[in-house]
Amino acid sequence: MTDPLLRVDDVSLGYDGRPVLEHISFVVVRGEFAALLGPNGAGKTTLFRGILGLIPPLAGRIDYGFNRRETPPGYVPQKESLDPIFPLTAYEVVLMGAAARVPPLWPIGRERRRLAAECLARVGLSDAAEEPFWTLSGGQKQRVLIARALAVEPQLLLLDEPTAGVDPGAEAAIVDVITRLNRDRGLTVLIVSHHLRLVREVVGSVIWVEDGSATKGTTAEMLSTERLADVFGAAARSL
Amino acid sequence: MSILTEMLSRDFLLRDALVGSILVGLVCPLVGVYFVLRRMIFLGVALPQLSAAGVAFAFMLKSITGVHQHGESGERILAMAGSLGFALVGLVVLAALERHGRETLEARIGIAYALAAATSILFVATDPYGEAEMTRLLKGDIVTTTATNLRLLMAVLGSVAIALVALRKELLLVSFDRDMAVVLGKRAALWDTVLYLLIGVTISFGVMTAGPLVTFGFLVAPPLTARLVTRHMLSFSAVAAGLGACIAFVGFYVAYRFDLPLGPTDVALSIVVLVIVGVLREAVRSVRARRLRR
Repeated sequence: MTDPLLRVDDVSLGYDGRPVLEHISFVVVRGEFAALLGPNGAGKTTLFRGILGLIPPLAGRIDYGFNRRETPPGYVPQKESLDPIFPLTAYEVVLMGAAARVPPLWPIGRERRRLAAECLARVGLSDAAEEPFWTLSGGQKQRVLIARALAVEPQLLLLDEPTAGVDPGAEAAIVDVITRLNRDRGLTVLIVSHHLRLVREVVGSVIWVEDGSATKGTTAEMLSTERLADVFGAAARSL
Repeated sequence: MSILTEMLSRDFLLRDALVGSILVGLVCPLVGVYFVLRRMIFLGVALPQLSAAGVAFAFMLKSITGVHQHGESGERILAMAGSLGFALVGLVVLAALERHGRETLEARIGIAYALAAATSILFVATDPYGEAEMTRLLKGDIVTTTATNLRLLMAVLGSVAIALVALRKELLLVSFDRDMAVVLGKRAALWDTVLYLLIGVTISFGVMTAGPLVTFGFLVAPPLTARLVTRHMLSFSAVAAGLGACIAFVGFYVAYRFDLPLGPTDVALSIVVLVIVGVLREAVRSVRARRLRR
């Protein structure tokens, strides 16, 4: 369980050559369930996008304990980032993940199609396979996007605020899916969230992003009442 | 009925024009699907106009250099090069500005359209022959399509259609979720370039065959209509292409039957179909909603 799956080594990240985060170092080990937390505007998204490979580091290295070309990470974006104009069913969205390793010009074979259906079943949405993606509820959409990420057959699952804008019932279903994937299948999970209660309940470690740097520790350490009060003020005692 | 029989007969005088028209109607919507999905419909106005400006530029070049001796085929190749060149350069510049520019996309497209429309006229202002040719082109005079032009059109637009079908999973992923595509190791910029190239080729051949108005009409109206009635990506593309081909055929019939210009007839018919399908869809929706309320 101490096999490093993601190593961020003295990394600086930013835009147009200007760093937002500097000298960031931490390791996420195989099977870990970690959360990226911090105040708004602290650079969580920048760090997340750097880990995803969407922005190149200005300095330092990000190493993966797997071959990114052969096994890309599973990425779950926020559902609002996708345009509802695309006429896609839930199954077609998941199929995009299943087809990730199919070379250009090659058709998507039966095996990949079966994998897409299995991933949809794994998030409890087999019945919604032929439903238009945009007619699903917020929670269902988010679970479809988790199924799409699983269809990549990843070793590392990266989720961007998966419970944002969903009702408590849907939130419980999403958290249940992610927790089972981590606990039962040993999938390494890194989640961006603002939801402190959720993080406290299910996440093992926290990467706290603030003032241009990041610190990693256990959830208990990083989310202690005293620490939260330091960051968010007295109101944090009720969180 | 006799006109329909005449149109379908092998020795129909305008058979090449009919087939060319259907081909443009079939392939333009396949490209237009990405205009609709990527929300760049206005680009569908600007690019055909840029392509037409390229044709005008070719006429001006020919007029300045006095290259008249190569006959119609040489003239057509020059016009084709101008059309394709302007469409592709326009696409590249607009795509580059999308990443680095500060103005809104609408502003850039508006400026590109205005510039293209103005230069289309200015390039041929001193050449009466060129001016007449441009007027013919802008009206969408597809009836002058020859057997040679048709063979070229079939080869080019056929290749575009095959490429769009064969590369649909890559083009769809990059269009739907660019970040996901990059995370999966896909070269998003390369696939954008491939799509732009297919768009540029389709538009320039569409403009050369049917004019900018018809090309824009077929790029946009059939996909918008298909979007109203389909829920799968594959059926969306198939219905858009099928509708485009049907409209091209019916448009040809109407134009031939009532002696109307083909280009505007096709465009008007596309919009009529869009409005009818839109109204029917809303009617079906309200009936369903009323039933559910009971």
